[in-house]
Amino acid sequence: MKKIIIRSIIYVISILIALEAIVRVFHLAKDSPTRFIDEFKVEKWVPNQEGYSVTGNRRQNFSKFHINNLGFNSYREFIPTKDKVEIALVGDSFIEGFHQNYDNSIGKKIENNLNNQVEVYEYGYAGYDFADQLHLIHAYKKQFDLIDKVFIYLKYEEDLDRGEYKVNYERMRLESPLNKNLKKIKLLVYAQNIGALDPIKKTINKIVVALKNKDSNNSNNNGNKIVKENLDQIRIDNFASLVNKYKYDKSKFILFFEGNVTSKIFIEYLKENKFKYIDISNSFNKSKKTTTLIYDQHWNNLGRDIVAQLLTNAFKK
Amino acid sequence: MLFNSIEFCFFLPIVFCLYWCVLKKNLRAQNVLLLVASYFFYGFWDWRFLSLIFLSTVVDYFVAQQIFIKEKKSLKILWLWVSVIFNLGLLGFFKYYNFFIASWVEMFSNLGYTIHSTWTLQIILPVGISFYTFQTMSYSFDVYYKQIKPTKDFLAFATFVSFFPQLVAGPIERASNLLPQIITKKTFNHNQIVSGLKLILWGLFKKIVMADALAPIVDDIFSNYSTYPSSTLILGAVFFSFQIYGDFSGYSDIAIGVAKLFGIELLSNFKFPYFSRNIAEFWNRWHISLSNWFKYYVYIPLGGSRRGRLVSIRNIAIVFLVSGLWHGANWTYIVWGAFHSLLYIPTFLLGNNKKYKNSIVGETSFISTFKEFFKITLVFVLVSFSWIFFRSKTILQAVDYIQNIFLNFSFELYNHPRGYRMIDYYVLIMVFLLFEYIIRKDERNPFDFKSRVVRFLIYTIVILSMLLFYDDGIDRSFIYFQF
Repeated sequence: MKKIIIRSIIYVISILIALEAIVRVFHLAKDSPTRFIDEFKVEKWVPNQEGYSVTGNRRQNFSKFHINNLGFNSYREFIPTKDKVEIALVGDSFIEGFHQNYDNSIGKKIENNLNNQVEVYEYGYAGYDFADQLHLIHAYKKQFDLIDKVFIYLKYEEDLDRGEYKVNYERMRLESPLNKNLKKIKLLVYAQNIGALDPIKKTINKIVVALKNKDSNNSNNNGNKIVKENLDQIRIDNFASLVNKYKYDKSKFILFFEGNVTSKIFIEYLKENKFKYIDISNSFNKSKKTTTLIYDQHWNNLGRDIVAQLLTNAFKK
Repeated sequence: MLFNSIEFCFFLPIVFCLYWCVLKKNLRAQNVLLLVASYFFYGFWDWRFLSLIFLSTVVDYFVAQQIFIKEKKSLKILWLWVSVIFNLGLLGFFKYYNFFIASWVEMFSNLGYTIHSTWTLQIILPVGISFYTFQTMSYSFDVYYKQIKPTKDFLAFATFVSFFPQLVAGPIERASNLLPQIITKKTFNHNQIVSGLKLILWGLFKKIVMADALAPIVDDIFSNYSTYPSSTLILGAVFFSFQIYGDFSGYSDIAIGVAKLFGIELLSNFKFPYFSRNIAEFWNRWHISLSNWFKYYVYIPLGGSRRGRLVSIRNIAIVFLVSGLWHGANWTYIVWGAFHSLLYIPTFLLGNNKKYKNSIVGETSFISTFKEFFKITLVFVLVSFSWIFFRSKTILQAVDYIQNIFLNFSFELYNHPRGYRMIDYYVLIMVFLLFEYIIRKDERNPFDFKSRVVRFLIYTIVILSMLLFYDDGIDRSFIYFQF
């Protein structure tokens, strides 16, 4: 018995080491850049990092990222001046664009569409909601005052859940020493990315749920019902609260979103209050080919082409 | 509980450690543990149906005693019928009741009489019922044919019926093989354990890499067959051949491997069936435990091949039709069985059914002859063709599928429903076939390479492949659970 346990341990460790080496050599796992909170309480990436973003078991989507001096994924530095024409794109991972090569981003496509007469700055960061976005614009007011047009990407169902900005310390836990060390094990990162660890997580969640007492579940369910019924109103209130707090510039800022997953009540609200917006879903629907990647819902090259064209058109108007 | 589930990853080491570390000196306690573990394993799916296993156990335990005690042959037969009627009744009710009612209604409907079917019931098919009922029946048969004496140890018998590695999808063990092992004191055998672990690894590879990776492609093609060209439909049939082989033989390998961990040797269920040179050889290599069951308990009692050619042909046809029906309550399985009997009978009449009984392709040289290669290809084509009936939901769908292959003959590159690279799957199948060919002489030792380095490399590649083809968005249950 002892012999078999010792042999099994030796084999398991050796195989894990071999797999770790293979994952590293063939770059099967994504690189994880480090995040931080700057002096303006803006969460972003530590400047000047490079690496590869990988999606799929067999590296089906492989792209390079480059974090610039300001802490955002872009091929260029963000140095707005009065003399140049600049556009800013503010948003979440769709604008951040780890799923594409950093030099083939929406911003770069807009620049190409405008014959490189403008500079496009992409203030994208995975997980940013509307509060994050307006706080960022407010925090970097000096920069944004010099920028001519600002496009803000909004996901109605995800980005309007809070009416005021607070630093997301939950997300910053990903930078704990333990997590940082775990991320160094590429095999673990790979297994997590492909969902091989999901059964373990689900089992742990099941146990946790089973341990919770029924009363708290019931009260939560009741609470959820109430929240769902008033969701549109809550989101509109949050939007209004943020817009008022950060003095949203209706002449310079343009929202863009997918109208087919955005509440009609909210769109009516935007119209009534004269917020400029672009509904990108119509152009996506017209496309005969898929506009998203295979492994996640981020826009593929065609999707980014469509968005870039729509924003270019809006800028020209 | 599934072999490829996280629950089983905890369950197996716990039972293993208790078996060998805590209870190793007490056979009875070991059997109690195996029985409790088996009932827990089955009850994890649905504890209510444990009562069926228990009932089947009690009936056959008692019936076998009666068969043994009675001296008159007529009484022995009577008690044997009790076992057969009880087990087939159980199977018939849970598995075939709705099928027979629906077929009956449909038959009258075709004759112009409309019957409003109100007799069908909402019945859940208990997992593994086809397997454990056949196993318990085999015990009564073996006692009747004096192959074994009935055991007086109810605990050992209950363990034999419910032994968790093979409870839900076989191999269907004959009592004469498994029961003596359960009642014999076992010693910890290092080589047996290592061999078991290797088989578990190989079984998991077949399930996760071959079956689960091909499943979305097969599902897509068979669901949308009317929109695809013939080249894609052929691909669907070929991929299903590998999917079902990976799924079922993978399960069997894991079952045999797990049993080895408890010092028990189960019979081989698959011996590289896709390297068969005629259909008889295929049936000697595919789902061997079921083929043997039908051979011993249906074919031979019916007279086998001893009563002339016509009776033999009748017996072969019966075995294949019943075997088809055993797989499921659907006419597609019966047609599948009938098709195989049509393939088998000419082989039998030509006297070739035992030609390859104890040999494997490339017996003396690594590379097979062109003639052998041609025969293997032909058998594979025929078997893959038959799988179309097996995989289709209705006979009409199967016929339509086949019609589309022949009438809509065109070639088009197939794209994976989720957009994955198809070349990965073609390479996977080629490498799998090559590896199976290399190890073709011993199905119980898939990693039997002398060099430790080679073995280590293969283990690493096998596990890496599981990661490369792991798909977290699919149903992980085994195909044969539904039977």
